[in-house]
Amino acid sequence: MHGFYRWSAKWWPGLIPLAILWVVAAWVSTIPLETDLTARSTAALKNTILDKSQITVAGRDVSFSAEAFSEDGRRSAVSSVEATPGVRLVNDETRLVAEAKPFVWVAERDNVRVTLWGTAPLPASRGRIVEAARAALSGTEVSDRMGLKRGAPVRFDAAAVLLLDQVAKLKEGKAVISDTNISLSGMARDLGGREAIAAALKNLPEGFTVAANDVKAPPYVVQANKDPVTNTLTLSGYVPDNTIHAALASAAGRKFGNEKIVDNLKASIGAPGGFAAAVTTALGALSRLSTGTLVVSDREVKLSGDALYEVAADQIRASLARELPQGWQAKAEVSVKPAAAPVDASVCQQLFVQNLTKGRIRFEPSSASINVDSAGLLDRLVEIAMRCPNVRVEIAGHTDGDGDAAFNQSLSEKRALAVEEYLVKAGLPADRFSTIGYGSTQPIATNDTDEGKLQNRRIEFVVRQAP
Amino acid sequence: MTYLAMFHWGWLLGAFLIGFCMGWIAVVYRGRSVSRVWIQRLSVIAAVIVGIAIAKVVPGRFGYWLDLGLALFGFYLVGCAIGSWLRDIVVVRQQARAT
Repeated sequence: MHGFYRWSAKWWPGLIPLAILWVVAAWVSTIPLETDLTARSTAALKNTILDKSQITVAGRDVSFSAEAFSEDGRRSAVSSVEATPGVRLVNDETRLVAEAKPFVWVAERDNVRVTLWGTAPLPASRGRIVEAARAALSGTEVSDRMGLKRGAPVRFDAAAVLLLDQVAKLKEGKAVISDTNISLSGMARDLGGREAIAAALKNLPEGFTVAANDVKAPPYVVQANKDPVTNTLTLSGYVPDNTIHAALASAAGRKFGNEKIVDNLKASIGAPGGFAAAVTTALGALSRLSTGTLVVSDREVKLSGDALYEVAADQIRASLARELPQGWQAKAEVSVKPAAAPVDASVCQQLFVQNLTKGRIRFEPSSASINVDSAGLLDRLVEIAMRCPNVRVEIAGHTDGDGDAAFNQSLSEKRALAVEEYLVKAGLPADRFSTIGYGSTQPIATNDTDEGKLQNRRIEFVVRQAP
Repeated sequence: MTYLAMFHWGWLLGAFLIGFCMGWIAVVYRGRSVSRVWIQRLSVIAAVIVGIAIAKVVPGRFGYWLDLGLALFGFYLVGCAIGSWLRDIVVVRQQARAT
């Protein structure tokens, strides 16, 4: 031991090369050491969820700044850096991510892109939302402008993903989550999009409520065009289902007995309430026009064209607005077709026969009330009568063979009178017409079949020269 | 400490070798010795510096350089001790053979 004291008293000269070694070691090793510690600290934070994480190393001391999403996460991150081998001190400059109140998230769509605004709760949520947006809106640019903040409601991700699916159904518009309130606005891409979105919103995660759903659908349009040149009625647009499609096709067949019907209607949901009744009424009005176009757009009925005579134009304008279901708007731009050239009695008779062969004046069963489907045919008969002002016309009523003969006789007379009344209301002088009922005494077909009875129930116009 | 030793093993080995050589020479060196009082004073100063290093009072790069210096100094002292001890054994044997 004594030797050590003696020897150690002579160890001092070695301190000079040691000092040189120290200076060189400090000069050479500082930067590599700092680089190595930066890499190790960063690796230690690999599995920690942080925002704006920054690590600066001076010597063996680490300055660590970051925004954490929970107090536990923040502590855990600091501990991870402190536990990194070689780290001497950690200057903890971490803090919690700011809390958003209210927590607002927006997905806004225009023609070219979807922009995601507002805040997401975690980087993973943000990534998931952006991925969901790309998946739901493939082919559309997704612009991510989301920030990260605390305070998201529970199941926020699921709500956002569900809303992105709804934004995909919009042509333009936006979906907003404000805390647990959801609001949507904009224009649906397709007919029925509004209904599809409303249905999907029923599956929102628990706790979320729909504060506003102002999504508008494109107008639900049905068009009908009556072309007297080709003698066709063209139907296009949408109907809600096959039942209503069949009902409208059948109504068109009854009202447009003389025209060929081209049916281009397609089925789609999203029809406004009272759709079938409104379109049927509007088709009735169109059937009374010589030429015309009907556009039913949402709850607006726009009818334009030429009526066959002045009174008909007035009646169409008045009845369309009156007969549409409540909440529907009518816009009738009905003018009157120029009067056709007068014809002589034989042509007049021929025209009456032609029209009454192609179409039939319908009445309610066992009644003298003229069925509304016959208005178009009656208007054509009025027009023909106007073209031969100098002839007298006998209106003859016939029934089928069913029922009591006296009842049939009376019914045929009343039906002939009802037709005469229609003609007089149209502005024709009453003294040009006479009525007669034949009951079932002059059948033109067998009364044993329904088809035969249908033919026997008829009104005939017989032209008599004026005295 | 393990990390420092692994990262700086070359420098520490250098300090150890310098110490070993110094210790080897010190046994037969006839030059000036440091007085016992000064050894005690320097030991106190060294203890204070070690205390400062353990307390991590010196920040950043200066703190690191202090740690590095102390580590090198420690290995130097160990080298000196081993060098002197081995040389002493050699010298004693030579003296025994000479007598």
